[in-house]
Amino acid sequence: MREEVFTKPELSFGTSTAPGKSTKLGMPWFQKMWKRIGPPGVAFILFIGGWELFCRLSGLKPYLLPKPSDIVMAASENASNLWVSVYTTITEAVLGFLLSIVLGVGFAILLASSKLIERSVYPYAIIMQTIPIVAIAPIIVIWFGAGMNAIIIIAFLIGFFPMLSNTLIGLNSTDHNMKNLFYLYNASPLQSMLRLRIPAALPYIVAGLKISCTLAVIGAIVGEYIAGIGGGKGGLGYAITVASSRLQTAYLFACGLSASLLGILFFLLVNAFAKWMLSSWHESEMNSSEG
Amino acid sequence: MSTITQAKEWVKMERLSKVYPNGTVAVKEVDLTIHEGEFLCFVGPSGCGKSTIFKMITGLSNPSSGTLQVMGTTASDARKQSDTAFVFQDHTLLPWNSVIDNVTLPLALRGVPRKERQREAERVLEMVGLKDYMRSMPRELSGGMKMRASIARALVSKPKLLLMDEPFGALDEITRQTLQIELLELWRQDPEMTVLFVTHNVFEAVFLSTRIAVMTPRPGKIAELIDVPVPFPRDETFRTTPEFGQIVRSVSLALKH
Repeated sequence: MREEVFTKPELSFGTSTAPGKSTKLGMPWFQKMWKRIGPPGVAFILFIGGWELFCRLSGLKPYLLPKPSDIVMAASENASNLWVSVYTTITEAVLGFLLSIVLGVGFAILLASSKLIERSVYPYAIIMQTIPIVAIAPIIVIWFGAGMNAIIIIAFLIGFFPMLSNTLIGLNSTDHNMKNLFYLYNASPLQSMLRLRIPAALPYIVAGLKISCTLAVIGAIVGEYIAGIGGGKGGLGYAITVASSRLQTAYLFACGLSASLLGILFFLLVNAFAKWMLSSWHESEMNSSEG
Repeated sequence: MSTITQAKEWVKMERLSKVYPNGTVAVKEVDLTIHEGEFLCFVGPSGCGKSTIFKMITGLSNPSSGTLQVMGTTASDARKQSDTAFVFQDHTLLPWNSVIDNVTLPLALRGVPRKERQREAERVLEMVGLKDYMRSMPRELSGGMKMRASIARALVSKPKLLLMDEPFGALDEITRQTLQIELLELWRQDPEMTVLFVTHNVFEAVFLSTRIAVMTPRPGKIAELIDVPVPFPRDETFRTTPEFGQIVRSVSLALKH
C-alpha cells in the first residue's frame, strides 16, 4: 500500500517541469524569437498600416500628417543629408556621454572617499541638476561659442547627474560584512575602492549608464537646437529646426524617428555591455539573459 | 627536571566590558584566557555579547573598560600582523570573483606574488575539497561549498588565530555536521592554530570544542567554563555517546541559570 502512495519521483537536474508543459530550454530558437518579437512586431505593422490607411482615406494634407510611405520616401530622397545629421549627432552624443561617464564616476569616487567632501559638494550637484538644461544652454553657448563644443557640453551636463548619483549610491551601498572583511585583512582605502566598492557598485553604475545614454542623445539634439551648427555640419536637432521652418513634415518625421532609433541603439549597446559585465554574477543581468 | 611547557596565552581578557553609546551593556567584566591550540566555543542566547567579544578581539570595536590582549599585543596590532583570520555567518565571497580569486584575496591584499598565491590557494582548496571548483563563480556553488570556500580563504594565510562567528548558522543540519567534522580535521592538521567559534547550538559546541564558554543574556558575562575532555579525532559516533549527552546537559543547564 505504502509503495503505491510513495512512488519514487523521476529526478531531473537543471529544469523543473510541470507535467504536460514544454520546457523553455527545449523550445526551438525560432519559437523563442517569435515569442519575443512577434507581439510588438504585429502591433507595429497594424499601427503603420492603420496610419497609412487613415491618411489615404481622410485626405489629410501631407504637411499636417504625412503617410508612413511619405516619411520613407523623404528619408531616402535626403539620405545623404540625413546620414550626415545622424553621424553628427552620434559624435556629439557619444563624446558627451563618455564625458559624463568619466566625470560622473570620477566625482562619485571622490565624494565616496570622504564624507566631508560628499557633504560639502553633493548639495550643489543636486542644485545644478534642478536648473533646466535650456536655461544653462545659452550660457554655455556664450562661454564656448556655438557649435560642437557647446553641444557636447550640453549632452554631458544632461547625462552627468544620473551617472554621479547612481555611482555614489552604489559606492555607499557596499555590504557591511564585506567592508569589515577588507578592514580585517588590512586593506588600504585604495584597495577597498578598487577591489570592493567599485565592483560592488557596478550594477548601480550600469543603471546610470542606461539612463545617461539616452539622455546624451536628447542633450545633443537640444544642444543642436540652441547652439546650431557653428560653421560645422548640422546634427538631427538642426535638421529638425530647418525641416520644421520649411514645412517638410515628412522629413521632420524621418529626423525624429532617426533620433529615436539612435536612442534605442545607444540603449541596446549599453545593455549588451551591462550583460557582458554583470551576467556572470549579478542577478539583474542573469535574469534578463535567461528570460 | 620538569619538561612541562605552558601553552601560550593567545587571548587574555580581564574585566573586559563593552557599553554602547545608547547605554546598552553588551559585555560585562569578562575574565577569560584562551591558550594556543585551543578550540573554544562561545555559547549563549542571541544578544548575549558573543559577537561583541569577537568584534573586540578583531579590533572592529574597542572595549569600554578592562584589558584585552591578543597574541601578546593589542587587538588592532594583532590584526595588522595578519596572524588572525575570520569566517562570518555569511560566506562574504565576492560574487564577481572566482573561487580562487576569493580564496587568494587576503594574500593579494598583502601583495603576495601571484604564483605563491596560486600555490597556497591550491593547497587550501585541496584541504576543503574544492580544488575542482577553483574557477567556478560563487553563485555556482551550494551553501556548504560557499562556506568551505570562505574557510579556505581564512586558512590561506596560515592564521594562528581563527575567529568563526556562527559560520554554519545558515546551513542545513546534514551540511552543518559534515562541515563540523571537516573543520575539526583542519584544526587538527595545524597544532598551533587556535579557533574561537561562536554558536548558539549546544550540540555543535560540544562536538567541536576543547572548552566551552557559556554566556548569560545581556549584560553578557561568562556563566561557566566547561571543559570537553574528549580526545580527538571525534567522529559521528561521538554524538551518540553518553559522554556527549552528559556534556550537552551540563551546557544546557549552565545556559538556563
